[in-house]
Amino acid sequence: MTFPTIEFAAFFAVVLFLSWLLMPHPRLWRPFILVASYLFYGWIDWRWVLLLIGSTVVNTVFANAVARAETQVGRKRAVTAAVAFNLLLLGTFKYLGFFVSSFDDALGGIGLGSSMPVLQIVLPIGISFFTFQSISYVIDVYRGDTRPVPLMDFAILQGFFPHIVAGPIVRVNEFVPQLRTPRDPRKVLAGPGLFLIAGGLIKKTVVADELARRIVDPVFSDPGAHSGAEVLLAIYGFAAQIYCDFSGYTDMAIGLALLLGFKLPQNFDRPYLATSLRLFWHGWHMTLSRWLRDYLYIPLGGNRRGKRRTYVNLMLTMVLGGLWHGAAWTFLIWGAIHGGALSAERWLGDRFPTVRVPAWVGWLITFHVVCVAWVFFRAPDLGIAFSVLGQVGAGGPSPLVTPVLVALAAGAVAIQAIPRDFWRRAEAWFVARPIAAQGIALGLLTVIADAAIGQQGVAPFIYFQF
Amino acid sequence: MERRTTSGRRSRNGGSDGRAAGDGRSGRGDSRPASDDGRSALSDGQEIGGRPSVHDPAHPGIGDPVDPRLTMPAGRVWLVVLIALLVAAVLNSEAMVRAGEGMKQGTTRDVVLAVAEPLDTVTGAVGLQLPREGFDRAFGQESKTAAGTELEQGSAAILRGRARREAKPVWRQPTPAQPLNVLVTGDSEADLVGLRMNDLDSRGLIDIETVARNGTALTNPGFFNWELNAEQEISARDPEAVVMLIGANDGFNVEADGELHAPGTPEWEPEFARRVAVVMRTLGSDGERPVYWVPPPTARDSDLDDIYRSQNRAVARAAEAVEGARYVDVYSTINDGEYSDQVRIDGREVLGRQSDGIHFNRDGALIPAEMVLDAMAKDYPVLR
Repeated sequence: MTFPTIEFAAFFAVVLFLSWLLMPHPRLWRPFILVASYLFYGWIDWRWVLLLIGSTVVNTVFANAVARAETQVGRKRAVTAAVAFNLLLLGTFKYLGFFVSSFDDALGGIGLGSSMPVLQIVLPIGISFFTFQSISYVIDVYRGDTRPVPLMDFAILQGFFPHIVAGPIVRVNEFVPQLRTPRDPRKVLAGPGLFLIAGGLIKKTVVADELARRIVDPVFSDPGAHSGAEVLLAIYGFAAQIYCDFSGYTDMAIGLALLLGFKLPQNFDRPYLATSLRLFWHGWHMTLSRWLRDYLYIPLGGNRRGKRRTYVNLMLTMVLGGLWHGAAWTFLIWGAIHGGALSAERWLGDRFPTVRVPAWVGWLITFHVVCVAWVFFRAPDLGIAFSVLGQVGAGGPSPLVTPVLVALAAGAVAIQAIPRDFWRRAEAWFVARPIAAQGIALGLLTVIADAAIGQQGVAPFIYFQF
Repeated sequence: MERRTTSGRRSRNGGSDGRAAGDGRSGRGDSRPASDDGRSALSDGQEIGGRPSVHDPAHPGIGDPVDPRLTMPAGRVWLVVLIALLVAAVLNSEAMVRAGEGMKQGTTRDVVLAVAEPLDTVTGAVGLQLPREGFDRAFGQESKTAAGTELEQGSAAILRGRARREAKPVWRQPTPAQPLNVLVTGDSEADLVGLRMNDLDSRGLIDIETVARNGTALTNPGFFNWELNAEQEISARDPEAVVMLIGANDGFNVEADGELHAPGTPEWEPEFARRVAVVMRTLGSDGERPVYWVPPPTARDSDLDDIYRSQNRAVARAAEAVEGARYVDVYSTINDGEYSDQVRIDGREVLGRQSDGIHFNRDGALIPAEMVLDAMAKDYPVLR
C-alpha cells in the first residue's frame, strides 16, 4: 500500500479513528497499531511481513544478548554477530543477484562460461530502512546509549506504517519513549501534520511526477536526441524531482505520524539552499546521513586520525553510501563526487583559513556539484550519464523547455527559501478555520493532486527501490 | 533521556555531537550553523550527518514543546480527514471508478466500484464532475476513457480481413539526415525496449519516441481505452512507424455479446484478437504506417504463460487481418518458447528478465529490440 491511493485513504481514516479510541488502553492499542502496520506493509506481499517479524525477533534477541553479556569480549561478539546478520539479510536481498551474475561474467571472461543458476529475489520494500534501524538499535545497546526494549515496542518501531517504506530512519531513543508517554488527544499537532501531508502530496504529484514525465525521463532515455537547453532543464529538473519525490514521501510520513500523535525525526532541511557540501548533507536525507556518520564515519576514525585519514574516511563513507543505493558504477561515482567534494572543501578550509567565499558563490558551486552528481544517480548507466553531460552545450530546438517546467524546477528550490515563520503562521491560521473549511480545502487539494497524476497513475516513489 | 544518552555516546567518540554551533535547537528560525563557511575546524562528524531533531515549525522536533496554536483535538482531526476524503470522493468519483477498473479482480476492486459507480452516477447528474474536469484541463490531461468505442464492443468482422492492397506499400527509407520517426508505445515493457532500440541504432536512422503507459491493457478499457489513446497519440505525434508492446497486464475477463469471458475460455481469445485488430488499425491509420506489435514473451508463472501464449495466437491472427500490421514473435523465438531467467546474447547466457518473471531487464530488452529492428528492416531495407 502506498500513500496517495484510495486503499490507503480508507485505511488511514479507519486507523486514525481506532488509534485514538484505543490510545488510553495501551494493551489494546499496541497490538492494534502493530497489526495495522503489518497489514499496510503486507498489502503488496504478505511474505514481507514474515521477514520483518523475523528481523525484529532476531534483533531483539541480539540486543538482549549484548546487554546481558558479562564481558566486553562477549558484548563485542554479540554485536558483531548482530551486525553481520543484518548485513547478510540486506546483502542477500539487495546484492546477491548482482554478485552471482558478476561471478558468472568473471568465469565467462576466463573461458569458463557457464549458466549459473540466477537467483531472482524480489527486494522487499523498506528492507534497507528497517535493517538500518536494527543495526543502530543493537549498536546503541552495545555503546550503552540505550537499553534493550520490549519486543512489542521494538516491533512497533520497526513496523510503524508511516515510516516503514522509505523512512525516516528512527532510533529507539527517539520513538520508544513516546510509546511510554500517553499521547494527549486534546493536543494533536494537526497544523504541521496536515500541512506536511498536503505539501508532500503536492510535491510528489504536481512537481516530481510532472518533471519526470515531461522532461527528465524523455531526456535521460535518449539524451542525444535533445538540445542542450532540454538537457540542462532535465538535469535541474531531476534535482527538483528527487527532492520533491523523496522529501514529499517523508513529509507525508511525518505528517501522518503527527496526526497519530507521534513525532518522527526531520529528514530534509532546505538542502538546496546549502552554501557548502557539508551543509548540504546536514539537510539532505538527514536520518541516513547521521546514520552513516554515527555507525560508519566515526567508527572509521572520523577526523581524529589526521587529515589524510579524514579524507579517506569521508570518501569511504560517501562511496559506501552510494553503493547502498545499488551495486552500480553510477551510484559509486555519485558517492565519490560527494566524498571528493567534501574532502576538497575540508582541504580548502584548512589550506586557506582566512579566505572568505561569498555565500552566493558557495551556493552556486554546491548546487551544481550536487546536480552533476545527480546525473550519475539518475542515469541507467555510465554511457547515458556522460552522454547527458556531453550534450549540455548542444544546439537545436527545445520544444520540451516550457515556462511551466522551468517554473516547477525553479519553484522546488525557491520554496525552500520561504521563512519558517510564514509556515508557522499559515498553520496557525489554518488550525483556527472552521472544520468544514479545513476539510473542503484539503479535499480540493486532493482533487488537484489526482488531476495532476492523470490516468497514468502515480509513479512509484524513487526511494522505494532502495 | 534522549539528550543525555546521545551526548554520552558522542563524547566517547571524541567529538561533538555532530551539530554545528547554533543549530537552532534552542531557538526559532533558520537552524543553520552561525559559522557557515566551512573553514572552521570541524569536529568529528560535522562533515556529514544532519540534525534531524532541530526545531522547525514545519517539522516539530521530538523534544520540542507543543505550540498550542498548532494543535487540534483528535476527534476534530479525524472529522477534518473524513470531510476531506468525502469531498475528494465526490469530486473525483469518475477517477475513482477508473481506479477501481484498473485494480486486479478481488474484494478491494469490488468495494471501490460498489462505492464509486453509484456516486459517479449521482455526481455526474448534478455537475459535480466539473471542477475535476477543469483541473484536468489545467494540467493538460486528456481523457483516456470513452463510451461506445469499437474496442469495447464491435464486430468480429475486422478479423476476417479484407482485400489487401494490390501493390505492397512503399515506405520512405530513412537517412541520417531524415531519420524515421518511430513511436514506441504500450505498457511498461515499452520503456526498456525503446531504449535498447535507440542503443542499437548506431547510424542514427531512427528517431524514437517512447511513450509507455504503465499498467494498461486492452482488456480493461474502462480504466484505459487504447483505441482512444491510439487516436490521440497518432494525432499528436504523427509517427511514420509504430512499435507496440503490450499484454503483460491483460489477464482480465473480457465482455463480448453481453457476457464475461475469462482468459482460457474459448471466447476470450477471439475477443482479444478483435481488440488487438481495432488498436492495430487505429495505430496504423488503416495501413498508412506499419505497426510492429510485440505481445508478451513467456512468463515464469504457468497460468500467466498460458494467457500470454493465447495472446500471441490472437495477435498473429489480428496481424493477418489488418493492413500494415506485423506480428513480432518474441514468445516462441526466445529460448524456443520455454521460460528462462536467462537469455543468450553474443553466445553467452545472461540474466535477461526482471525478478517478476515477466519483464525484460536492460540486457534482456536487447533481444526484442533486435527482433523489432529485424522486422522493420523488411519494410525499411536501409536498416539492415
